[in-house]
Amino acid sequence: MNHWPFIIAAYALTGLGTLGVFVWSYLEMRRAEQAVSKLERSR
Amino acid sequence: MKAKNQRLILALLALAAVIGAGLLAVSGLKQEAAFFYAPGDVAENGLPLGKAVRLGGMVADKSIRHDPDGVTIHFVVEDGKAKVPVTFKGIAPDLFKEKSGVVAEGEFHPDGTFVANNLLAKHDERYMPPELAGKMHKTDTLKP
Amino acid sequence: MHAYANPARFLKIARPLTPICLVVGILLILIGSYAGLALTPPDYLQGDSVRILYIHVPAAWLGMGGWTGIAIASIVQLVWRHPLAGVAARAIAVPGALFTAICLVTGSIWGRPTWGTWWEWDGRMTSMLVLLFLYFGYIGLANASDDRTSVSRATAIFGIVGAVNIPIINRSVVWWNSLHQGPSITLRGSTISSEILWPLAPTVIGFSLFFGGIVLMRMRANLAQAKVEARMRRLAAA
Repeated sequence: MNHWPFIIAAYALTGLGTLGVFVWSYLEMRRAEQAVSKLERSR
Repeated sequence: MKAKNQRLILALLALAAVIGAGLLAVSGLKQEAAFFYAPGDVAENGLPLGKAVRLGGMVADKSIRHDPDGVTIHFVVEDGKAKVPVTFKGIAPDLFKEKSGVVAEGEFHPDGTFVANNLLAKHDERYMPPELAGKMHKTDTLKP
Repeated sequence: MHAYANPARFLKIARPLTPICLVVGILLILIGSYAGLALTPPDYLQGDSVRILYIHVPAAWLGMGGWTGIAIASIVQLVWRHPLAGVAARAIAVPGALFTAICLVTGSIWGRPTWGTWWEWDGRMTSMLVLLFLYFGYIGLANASDDRTSVSRATAIFGIVGAVNIPIINRSVVWWNSLHQGPSITLRGSTISSEILWPLAPTVIGFSLFFGGIVLMRMRANLAQAKVEARMRRLAAA
């Protein structure tokens, strides 16, 4: 049996999952911190 | 005693109680949670007849024989304590080799042979490149 | 203990630390993955599929380490009432669940060519699946409260009680006959030959730093959102 399709699938799914959580966490942080700095400027 | 210390002791006691209860439950499950029977278990406790079970151990050296029909194979599973002859009809996984681990799914016959309808390969915890493996003598048996 | 209790002081450290963790972590992951895919020899028995090791092991470590972190943060919250403990526990839950899922998926993919099965109800696999469901339960409980800067006492207790599963996962292959092999890396050394083992160091350290960076980002997001919400409430009251 050729193992490479299995290896590629494992690495690809890991890449997709970590990238997804990374982008989600980053966007959430940026949005929240921008809202804070807007509040501080408006003070 | 300060309230903080009291909370700490309470939390640690609760943690110890939970872990103790969990471990107790787990040790009670010892037999049920086992994924397979080892040949030694079978020799000790008798054949589990009349139900689908799994048998796991090492494929004995030079024990694999192919029938002329091309699909039936016979081999011996051992765990250092006992041996069980196994018959299997079908396609074995790539890693199914002599002196390597196997888990067979099937049923015991009253004469002590095991008829498998599926084979799973079980490898051990050692990983090495092929050149190194060639130089080494594999003498360890699979832990039950 | 309360030296970093002040969110402002925490942020002063977290802001520069976040990109360091993420950049160094991702670099190490890439180096380790390249080495594991291209430089190391295949295994004598498993062939090339052994290369899944380099992501499967860090994922398992972070799934279990994540819950250990939640349990420690929960104790810190209940005992010392540390204001950041709840934020940290809440931030760990999602990446912890992610890596537990990655561990299960990569293990399943690895099982097919080596063991000949995608899934079996063996002690190691079952206890790891239980961990994933514990994470789902924890995320649900944590999101049930509106306060982003803490978790409820019940959630914290759930975090501590769930920790009982961690030693069970770790010992499952020793206690029970299992399809999964026994531990390769123990205090007595490693049964993985060094040529195959070495890329595991950069991927384990890299994924751990990456995990830390994600946790820091999620903590910062929750702290900032809580700040905005508190301001809105004050404006509405005035």
